[in-house]
Amino acid sequence: MNSDVKPTETLDVRGEVCPYPDVKTQKKVKKMKSGEILEVLLDYPLSAERMPRSIEKMGHEILKTEKTGTGEWRILIKIK
Amino acid sequence: MIDTSLMISGLVVGIIFGFVLQRGRFCMNSAFRDIILMKEYTLLKAVGLAIVVQMIGFHLMATMGYIQLYPKTVYWGAMIVGGFVFGVGMVLAAGCASGTTYRVGEGMMGSFVALLGLMIGGVITSGGALMELKSYLQPTEGFLKAITADNPGPYVGNSNLTLANVFGLNPWIFVIIISIIIMAVLTWKRGGEETKVEGTLYEKIFKKGWNWWITGIAIGIVGIIAFLALKKYALGISGGWFGFLDALITGNPEKLNWFTFLVIGVVIGAAVAAGIAGEFKLRAPNARRLLQQFIGGLVMGIGAVIGTACNIGHILSGIPQLALSSILGGAFIILGCWVAAYIMFLRG
Repeated sequence: MNSDVKPTETLDVRGEVCPYPDVKTQKKVKKMKSGEILEVLLDYPLSAERMPRSIEKMGHEILKTEKTGTGEWRILIKIK
Repeated sequence: MIDTSLMISGLVVGIIFGFVLQRGRFCMNSAFRDIILMKEYTLLKAVGLAIVVQMIGFHLMATMGYIQLYPKTVYWGAMIVGGFVFGVGMVLAAGCASGTTYRVGEGMMGSFVALLGLMIGGVITSGGALMELKSYLQPTEGFLKAITADNPGPYVGNSNLTLANVFGLNPWIFVIIISIIIMAVLTWKRGGEETKVEGTLYEKIFKKGWNWWITGIAIGIVGIIAFLALKKYALGISGGWFGFLDALITGNPEKLNWFTFLVIGVVIGAAVAAGIAGEFKLRAPNARRLLQQFIGGLVMGIGAVIGTACNIGHILSGIPQLALSSILGGAFIILGCWVAAYIMFLRG
């Protein structure tokens, strides 16, 4: 795990189906303040690839996308 | 029972198809829904490319005499209603017929529940409680009856309508024009959306998700192989599952068809792909979502039988044959998808 970056909040969307991981993350991101860091935990492969693209398109920064286990990913987003 | 060679060919093509679907994350529900939901076009491009590859491939095979094309019958009312209903169902089910099937292989129990709904919806509509609805929209007489071609034209093995025989033109004219248009759009819009895949060739194939253009070409090739194997049609998903449940209920192995072995192969192929990539995991959403997915599956099954095909039968296999039925059915699948996605995710 990344010790130097501390997430402000964590969103756990493991178990959720298409497209809820993306939709819930976008909603959460919109509510957060500039400079805050959101940690997203997910286990849906398509979202793990699609979400970084769509979040970057919204103007936010993807600090990290990592595979944390079998079928599980962790994405760190820095709010613009 | 279908003969052993067809069983094996269905299973083998299915395993390859399932592998490609899982690696490419190929789901038409995502492809169409994400256009309005997140302005994301990656999977849509894969769909477009797969259609081009198959359209050229099918017509080449037909010109060389290996196959004949079998466009589906135009029951226009059924295509409109069935397509729309199917499109709504796939948003609720969180996956189209093929997306749901490959995700079962990834261990997603929500998709498994949606699949049970799909089978039940299909069987009750084709031969059960909702049979009247199907016969009403697919009648032999009257306003809603099938529209057929007087002169089916070259390569067509039945009397159903295609873009080509409606206008009395050579199919290649449409194949070339449509291919050029799709390829021009894909080339023009190619930048920026590719996932940068790094690593060795082994990792690129077995560990990471594929780029859209690899997925599109691979799906197209699988479709051409399917047509050469079965001769009567290319890929299809929902009919295979309906046959599976029908055979279980009636105990009649005659109900198993080539597509049944294909879909079983898809689950196996997707499970193998997910297993190698370290993505296989038994997982389930909450109870509310499971119920939503079951209802979505049921609605998809009803829509697929009314509209005579699912997204794969119409959009992936029918449109490349220039079938008017599939163009109409496919358009209403997309419309149903958009209306449902708007209501569920964008309103308010």
